[in-house]
Amino acid sequence: MALKLPVPAALRKPSKPGERSNGAGTNGAGTGDGNGKAGSPVVDTVKEGAIDVVGWLDERTGASPFLTGLLLRKVPKGTNWFYTLGSATMFAFAMQALTGVFLAMYYVPSATDAYDSINYLTNDVFLGEFVRGLHKWGATVMVILIFLHMGRTFFFGAYKYPRELNWVIGVVLLILTLVMGLTGYLLPFDQRSYWATIVAMNITGSGPVMGPYLADFLRAGSEFTATTLPRFYAVHMLLVPGLIIALIGAHLYLVVKLGTTAPPWLRADPKPKPLREEVVGPASGNGISGNGRSGNGRSGNGATRADEHDRESS
Amino acid sequence: MNTAEKEAYLREYEVLKKKGKPFFPYAVFKDATMMAITAGVIVLMALLLGAEQGPKADPTTTTYVPRPEWYFFFLFELLRVIKPPELVPIATVGIPTMCMVLLLLLPFYDRNPERAPWRRPVATVAGIMTIVAMAFLTFLGASAGSPTEIELEVAPQFEQGKQVAAQSGCLACHKFGENGNDGPGPELTEIGSKLPANAIERTLVNPSGIMPEYGNLPPEKFESLVAFLASLQ
Amino acid sequence: MAEPADKKRGTNPEKPKPAGYFEGESMTRRTVFGLGVQAAGVLAVTPIALASVGFAIAPIFDTPEEMWEGVGSADDYPSDSYRQAVITIVNGVGDSGKTTVYLRRGSETLDEDPNEFIAISTRCAHLGCPVRFVKAAGNFICPCHGGVYDFEGKVIGGPPVRPLDRFQTRVVGNQLEVGPRYSVTNDLEPVRARDPGEFTGGIWEYLYPPRPTTAAPPS
Repeated sequence: MALKLPVPAALRKPSKPGERSNGAGTNGAGTGDGNGKAGSPVVDTVKEGAIDVVGWLDERTGASPFLTGLLLRKVPKGTNWFYTLGSATMFAFAMQALTGVFLAMYYVPSATDAYDSINYLTNDVFLGEFVRGLHKWGATVMVILIFLHMGRTFFFGAYKYPRELNWVIGVVLLILTLVMGLTGYLLPFDQRSYWATIVAMNITGSGPVMGPYLADFLRAGSEFTATTLPRFYAVHMLLVPGLIIALIGAHLYLVVKLGTTAPPWLRADPKPKPLREEVVGPASGNGISGNGRSGNGRSGNGATRADEHDRESS
Repeated sequence: MNTAEKEAYLREYEVLKKKGKPFFPYAVFKDATMMAITAGVIVLMALLLGAEQGPKADPTTTTYVPRPEWYFFFLFELLRVIKPPELVPIATVGIPTMCMVLLLLLPFYDRNPERAPWRRPVATVAGIMTIVAMAFLTFLGASAGSPTEIELEVAPQFEQGKQVAAQSGCLACHKFGENGNDGPGPELTEIGSKLPANAIERTLVNPSGIMPEYGNLPPEKFESLVAFLASLQ
Repeated sequence: MAEPADKKRGTNPEKPKPAGYFEGESMTRRTVFGLGVQAAGVLAVTPIALASVGFAIAPIFDTPEEMWEGVGSADDYPSDSYRQAVITIVNGVGDSGKTTVYLRRGSETLDEDPNEFIAISTRCAHLGCPVRFVKAAGNFICPCHGGVYDFEGKVIGGPPVRPLDRFQTRVVGNQLEVGPRYSVTNDLEPVRARDPGEFTGGIWEYLYPPRPTTAAPPS
């Protein structure tokens, strides 16, 4: 079922005599054209121009069948508002990325200048505190949404066959989101940032054998040094967002390919109706045996469904 | 899940999918609405709660009370309640790692083909208990107070004694209402009704175990401390 | 990689075998190019990846030079209580490279040499929060998770896993100077500095190995 894109005039099937090109089909009566505007030739030309551009792009990208498949695919019966949590999380991430880009234009990732740059941004830049607020509370909202999304997936059993890989990718995304939170809240470099990060790095260090070296790697030394903050900044700005974007791509690909689950309380077939006798009159039905045999299991919906299944599984 | 169950699920899914509606515009509308609501909530929070900067990072402080972001409060509370030093690595790396592994491998050890929550009681109960535990730990972590502040309401004449108690390190081992630690010392929220004033005085001067002596406090502070403790009924 | 002769495609069985050929030998054009792809790929990526990773890991092996800082006259520090001082432990980062130290003279009642000084770090041995000394109780208290240390820095309550770290001290002329950090075991024996949360002493010296980024402890 291809998307019906408007076709340029030159390629349109010529209309029958007396018929309008938009199929209105009056007998030559009627003054205006389909949209009833007086200046119709100009509008028509503009519309044709736009259609030509779309056609040009579509011919070179093959976007039309892709978009058809993506946008017009069916979602199962019963898809409700719970299913919006995933895309809401992605939207929150997009907002974080956007506000983050603008914050990065003012932020200085140096232990001596970070606090002052944030101070300048918050107090002296137009809408500075607002954008910083969007980023800060966006982080909270994203964490809440991702946990709600995970809970919905868990309680709907949507991690079971064949969506196990999607769940694994999702858990990795959850961990990466928490890492973003951790590395991000060091950056304003106020008291809360500093001490929360010190504790987090020491938690890393308490693992045996590799712990001390891991903590040294994160901190770039045995104490909080001049390169610790830039390290966290690089992770927060470049490494983890890159991983998140790649994994969101994989997550969405699987969602489109495998489809979203139906809510688990829905069943495909309602309870089969109890079989009943049907008396068929003597004059009815060509080819239907007319003596009321209806109890042989091929009555009602049962036949259709079995056929359907046979067709699909072949 | 064996092959038969997998096939049965796929068949049922196909049927339900056929009966569904196209993604655009029906599901996209719900998604877009939710995105608008999300944007609205974030904007509202940014406008109402703002983004104030705290004091500059100062590693030389001896008065600051560090706290993590709210979504780490459950881990923070876990670290507070696991007191024996030998168990500390369990709280720092053991439990979080185990939880991550359990979460990651969930589809591989949950073999039940059922999806409806009431048909998979183990999973549902485990999920609800996890959520309740995390919420409870988060709440406890949020209400953990500073080690030098007592928030109990007392009559004005006992205020000074309350301050002496708060500043003398008592909260490190004792609980006063919501503040302080659950050990190694007993809770003192109602100590006045358990011990008479002279018993309290004797304990302060001649404590047992690891409790330090407080007999050397200036007399005025010592008396106000005793009066405060005796008033905790 | 040597495919059976009958599975190879594109080889002409009629062509005379090259000099030195032995039965079963095969190195098709395809194989050569396949190996070439892998070799070229490794060659292209390795120097960049190794350099980048090495660059990121290098700080683990970097030993900073020892710093000693004066904190005032040695006579200012009593043996029955602690006095605070601020020292710089990391250069170049301004205020965030400083830390607070609690100093006192050695106390004879605790079997210490009165000519030696004790410098206790404010870094809690549990997870690094800043501890404070409470004079009335003679204890160090940590505000985070309920750790309590006694007058010498040994743990008497809460989750800290070892006594508080110390700094090396020396007296130059009349000035008291504070040097690099070191950690102690539960018996207050000096060991190389460890991060908070790491046990010291005995087998723990190997499970939490010493690191090049720390200074050697005093003997």
